Amino acid sequence: MQRDSSSLDKLLENPRVWRGHNQAHAPNGLASGYEALDRHLPGGGWPQNALTEILVEHYGIGELRLLMPALATLSTADNGMDYNEPGWIAWVSPPFQPYPPALQQWGVDLSRMLIVRPRDASEMLWSAEQALSSGTCAAVLLWSDTLDDQASRRLQLAAEKGNSWAIAFRPPAARRQPSAAALRIELLPGQEGTRVSILKSRGGRPAVLHDLL
Amino acid sequence: MGTARRHHRSTRELFDQRSLALDEVEPGPRVARPPVIRRLWFCVYLPQLPLEAAGPGDGARVVVEDRQGIHRVLLACPRAGAAGIMPGQSANAALALLPGLLIEERSEVAEQQALEHLAGWLERFSSMVNFAGPDVLLVEIAGSLRLYGGLLKLRQQIAAGLEQQGFTASLAIAPTPLAATWLARGGRRACVRDSANIGTALRALSLSCLDWPAATCESLAAMGVRNIGECLRLPREGFARRFGPQRLLQLDRALGRLPDPRTSWRAPERFCADHEMTEEQSDRELLLAICRELLQSHERFLLARQLGVQSIQFSFFHLRSPATILHLGCVEAERRADRWFDLLRLQSEQLVLPEPVIAVRLQGGHTQALQTESGRLVFRGKTAGRGMRFSIAQLAERLVARVGRQSVAGVTAVAEHRPQLAWRPRNLLKEKSMAQVSTARGRLQRPLWMLPEPARLHVDEGYPLHQGRLQILDGPERLETGWWDEDSIARDYYTAINPRGMRLWVFRTRNRDADWYLHGFFG
Repeated sequence: MQRDSSSLDKLLENPRVWRGHNQAHAPNGLASGYEALDRHLPGGGWPQNALTEILVEHYGIGELRLLMPALATLSTADNGMDYNEPGWIAWVSPPFQPYPPALQQWGVDLSRMLIVRPRDASEMLWSAEQALSSGTCAAVLLWSDTLDDQASRRLQLAAEKGNSWAIAFRPPAARRQPSAAALRIELLPGQEGTRVSILKSRGGRPAVLHDLL
Repeated sequence: MGTARRHHRSTRELFDQRSLALDEVEPGPRVARPPVIRRLWFCVYLPQLPLEAAGPGDGARVVVEDRQGIHRVLLACPRAGAAGIMPGQSANAALALLPGLLIEERSEVAEQQALEHLAGWLERFSSMVNFAGPDVLLVEIAGSLRLYGGLLKLRQQIAAGLEQQGFTASLAIAPTPLAATWLARGGRRACVRDSANIGTALRALSLSCLDWPAATCESLAAMGVRNIGECLRLPREGFARRFGPQRLLQLDRALGRLPDPRTSWRAPERFCADHEMTEEQSDRELLLAICRELLQSHERFLLARQLGVQSIQFSFFHLRSPATILHLGCVEAERRADRWFDLLRLQSEQLVLPEPVIAVRLQGGHTQALQTESGRLVFRGKTAGRGMRFSIAQLAERLVARVGRQSVAGVTAVAEHRPQLAWRPRNLLKEKSMAQVSTARGRLQRPLWMLPEPARLHVDEGYPLHQGRLQILDGPERLETGWWDEDSIARDYYTAINPRGMRLWVFRTRNRDADWYLHGFFG
């Protein structure tokens, strides 16, 4: 008990001590299906049990294509981790109708889609939290213009609780707001292709990826 | 002693045979007797039902009925009867005789409920309980005699039970349902076990026990026919002609000459219970507590039957406005009060009650056998997967309860070439589906976002516009189909990109206008 190393251990156990080192060894990410992106993400893929924010100005610039390979994996595989059933994918207040034939082309299991269209922002947040913390949904996608810091923290907590992956689509103006998200990505459209800019990545570094989509 | 009794019986049998012979000769040709299946009908006739259904009471009471605008006494309790109150008197006359008299209006609904309650109780003695009239129940007991230790004991048990429940009953036992009914109505504590003796037993019964129309009884009385024995002596054909074949059929059935099939009553498998309050309430927590009590009795009801329901309905009654109805649905048959209460709590947040509530009713939906599942053996290591808090069914229920039924759905692909018909929403609470993984990867790409309706695009010098000129990347894919119904389409689909980097799914109609439409985004 008197030895120095044990008192150091004790100090490190204190929850107020934050070590960047630990974060770098993030648990294995979920392969995104895009090698270049995986290389820039800590854990080699999408952060699991956490909130990912995707900032987009217009829909239709590849925001779903970026996620599709990972969603297909989640909806069909049983993660190779447990005897869990493949997870459900919840779409909370999507701006348009997710088109089933296209989802099928991406290899997503349609029988595991849950589409929720809440009437207002508070219901939207509630539905997303319910889906995240239920333990049934492997991923919860939500579209919101009004998410604030507190809401993002709630989503992050719910994702941790339910071992789920929260993906929030937000307008680019949200870049200036603080957020509890583990990963923040902005999609920058252009005639020559959409660039993927990693704004914030817990345990990783910002980067801009060209020619991904 | 023994011989004397035997002797006595034999003379009686002789007498019976003689009387039956008389019956058979007089009414005409005999109907062929069906194969004999021994049955024994126990009839419970409740002459005081209108009074007893109104609930227990100590004081002198009468039940009145509205007859041509005047309330007339239908039944008087013994105490009222002792004061000289007779059925048929007007309510005012009865009050004049006994000022402290409690007058209650007849409630046929309450009578029916009391009868059903009694039928449910009688079901323990036999699987065959039959409603033979508004105040008559029949129980077929031939098969139950052994279990209950003989006719006498069974009869005692039923009589004691009826008395305990506060019913005055006239009981009779006979091999045919009608004979038992008539004997009970006649107030005979008769017990006829052998069908050969029915004729004798019925012989002296007054025609008023038969529930025949008054006109029939009167014309029979004018002919000097006052009891069933005299009725049976009339020529069959003439009787049928004058009073209708139905009456003859009834007599034949009562005597066991013709079969008299009866349907057995089943206790309703749907739950319905009310909670009435002494005063109006608008306190949510109190209302929820009442609902919880109702749900718990619902659970007990279902538990006893090993059943579950998929839907329940709460009705909140107000004094001045129509009742507020609240539906709750569950994916799988469910009986647990906690689970229903959970859903109720979610939905009650949105419930708008226009007025305070005076009564709450819970109605269970159609019951079904509970589907139980064997538990899953889960090996959880340190890399454990998602900790299951709810199943998808529970999640969907919770979402439906809060955001509404139309707002929660799954999707299903439909084998159809028209893009807008190639899918449909799936009700997660009803349809179960198997895994649907890609079947058509080889086709041209479909957009991940679909517009509810194609949006017409403006055209600039032949280029379609959507936030700038569109540039065609891929296409055309010609879809010309649906000629067999009204939604036929003839379109050329293209993949296009606009200056903002949005990839669009557009089409051009193949008619004379050749308009451009936007149908989706490649998200």
